[in-house]
Amino acid sequence: MTESDLRLIRESAGGIAPRTGDLKRIRALRFTTHGFDPAIWRQICDLGWPGLALSEAQGGSALGMAAFCALAEELGAALVPEPLISAALAASGLPETHNAAHLAGTNLILPAWQEQPDSLARTWHCQCRDGRLNGRKCFVVQAAAASSFIVTTAQGLALVPAAGEGVQLSVEKTQDGGHFGTLDFTDAPAEPLSADHGLAIEEATLATAATLLGVADRAFAITLDYLKSRSQFGKPIGSFQALQHRMADLKIQLELTRASIAAAAHSYDQGGTEALRLAAISRAKARASDSALLITRQAIQLHGGIGYTDEADIGLYLRKAMVLANLYGSAASHRARFAALSKI
Amino acid sequence: MFQIEPIETRNLDEWPDDAFRSEVRQFLASHYPPELRFPPRRLHFSENKPWYIALAKAGWLTPGWPRQYGGLGLSAGKQLILIEEYERHGCARLNDMGMTMIGPLLIKHGSIAQQEFFLPKILSGAHIWAQGYSEPNAGSDLAALRCEAIADGADWIITGQKTWTTLANDANWIFLLVRTDKSGRKQEGISCFLVDMSLPGITVRPIINLELHDEFCEVFFDQVRVSDSCRVGELNQGWAIAKNLLGFERIYLGSPRQSEQALDRLKLLGERMNLTEDAFFIDRFTRLQLDLEDLKCLFSHFADQLRRGETLGADVSMLKLFQSELYQRITEAMMEFAGEFAGLLEPMGGNRELHPGGAFIAARPTSIYGGTNEIQRNILAKNVLDMPG
Ligand SMILES: Cc1cc2nc3c(=O)[nH]c(=O)nc-3n(C[C@H](O)[C@H](O)[C@H](O)COP(=O)(O)OP(=O)(O)OC[C@H]3O[C@@H](n4cnc5c(N)ncnc54)[C@H](O)[C@@H]3O)c2cc1C
Repeated sequence: MTESDLRLIRESAGGIAPRTGDLKRIRALRFTTHGFDPAIWRQICDLGWPGLALSEAQGGSALGMAAFCALAEELGAALVPEPLISAALAASGLPETHNAAHLAGTNLILPAWQEQPDSLARTWHCQCRDGRLNGRKCFVVQAAAASSFIVTTAQGLALVPAAGEGVQLSVEKTQDGGHFGTLDFTDAPAEPLSADHGLAIEEATLATAATLLGVADRAFAITLDYLKSRSQFGKPIGSFQALQHRMADLKIQLELTRASIAAAAHSYDQGGTEALRLAAISRAKARASDSALLITRQAIQLHGGIGYTDEADIGLYLRKAMVLANLYGSAASHRARFAALSKI
Repeated sequence: MFQIEPIETRNLDEWPDDAFRSEVRQFLASHYPPELRFPPRRLHFSENKPWYIALAKAGWLTPGWPRQYGGLGLSAGKQLILIEEYERHGCARLNDMGMTMIGPLLIKHGSIAQQEFFLPKILSGAHIWAQGYSEPNAGSDLAALRCEAIADGADWIITGQKTWTTLANDANWIFLLVRTDKSGRKQEGISCFLVDMSLPGITVRPIINLELHDEFCEVFFDQVRVSDSCRVGELNQGWAIAKNLLGFERIYLGSPRQSEQALDRLKLLGERMNLTEDAFFIDRFTRLQLDLEDLKCLFSHFADQLRRGETLGADVSMLKLFQSELYQRITEAMMEFAGEFAGLLEPMGGNRELHPGGAFIAARPTSIYGGTNEIQRNILAKNVLDMPG
């Protein structure tokens, strides 16, 4: 991926989700049943985004993680609620026959892999024997919109229709206007799949870090503008040195995050040992989680009273960071994994 | 001097701490409405009224006020016990502007007639107060306020706008800072008024906050006529009174109340997430706990100053700064240890005490209201440390 390729990807993202666009669409979708717009999702699929990093054999365009992260960052900056990262993760485990409709946006399949909070474990208690699925999955993002779930089990992946017998879904709203689903499977008829996710959960982790970068980047830009336009004591508040220093410090965190994610994507795309690739992803996710929460909460502080209103858009960035910060592993669990991996 | 007979006839301040603490616990067990324990957000007066009235009836509403004004006259140490027990029990915060700010201010600056009229009504819950300082263009630069009162015979006509006014939608009285003179320095033409919110010309528009709750409001004044007897202190000398009131506000915001409650909840969260044996969690928790204990020591120092009737100095800003940021750090630790639960809109498993995301959001404005923490640091540097510039 050259710089100009990445720029093209960013520009095409702007077609659906302009960074500086108003957030009316995002607000209108908050706390609705699906939490996103199926029509926009189909447009996203038409552009081939869920398959951007997927292998060609699986129906993707194999552009790699640098490209996928650029896209995720743009969608983060525009607070896009459509489930790009989840759908890409699901696609990694699906045979091409299933992927056609999934990647076309006509049949959304969402991944159900997690069994414990804040866990980077990649072993599963869910059981799929004789075509029957048993167990529990949690934190399934936008679960209410799925037509099927692709479920990690001790025996490999399994596909289960959302409306099938023995499948029970309960949802909890999240701060960003979406929801997490908890799935309970009791002898649910399921189709065992021969593929596995490979490193796709790692890819989703890195793409989530990139989304956080977009969230932080845009929150920072909005705040910088605000500091230039809001006046108190007869001058722009951005002229006060205390605030200038604060912004300077936040800028450092923002650029560290950007650099860490770019390096992790590059090393991932270059190959190299799995330990090195995972360590770089952990480093990037730890940085992105911490800096996005730091930048968005300082953004509220620097807005003063207006920052604490739901009317002001800046709060939407805080809420998004709150949901993504610990998804695919908190900063602390990624630091722990980094420490374990770098001992190798 | 005007006096109010205290309803609580026992002088609780003379009791040994242990006996006082168990008295408080018994009081809570028998008087606190159980359904109001650990409220998910700040309650409106219509919701917390039973607790307000229970305290009022017992004469316990204003623990820090002198006994001759119907308070309990408690020392800082006893007030801390009260705070600890209230927070542990999950008591709702009341519409406390009258108790923590307006009452003490009237005791210091009000006329005898104003004390006679207003203090008993704060103590009974008949008057619920709001604080009308901030305006859209006068936040940190409060002295730039433009809401004005123009003399009309013996009356004043008030026109302008206030904003971020906490629970103005519950209040029937508002303490207003208004401009009464535009000729001199901006601090010199400000006066304080006590205004009945039911007067014609007042409109309240609630604003939805980040907790998705209608807790603060815009308040509009369109030619509101008030009598001169509603003015507090000297004409055009309101700035000094306003700052005095902020002193009361800052010691209240510097009290360990919020941090105390948050730390209890961090502990619960640690238990829920199986982290109580985790060295990293224990270190983090203990650091915050020690910060809280030291904060209590510093708080006692200021609270005792207040109890001796001394005026609080600018250094009380330290308390507000440290408390608000400690509270925020505790909730940030919750976010770090809560895993994906950190992103939930509602409490975990319906347990109101386990709501890391809610606590994190609720802690955000403590470094904005009562004078932002940037402004508090400016005050410390200039007025306490006497630094140049
Ligand atoms: C939840 C909540 C409840 C509130 N309740 C009330 C109430 O009941 N009554 C009432 O009157 N007001 C209330 N307020 C208003 C509050 O006092 C103001 O929001 C606060 O004083 C800041 O003013 P502002 O919002 O205009 O922000 P601004 O003054 O515009 O500040 C924006 C940012 O600039 C910074 N800044 C400004 N000047 C300087 C400087 N010189 N040096 C460094 N940094 C600076 C600020 O610290 C802040 O980070 C409430 C606010 C909140 C959030």
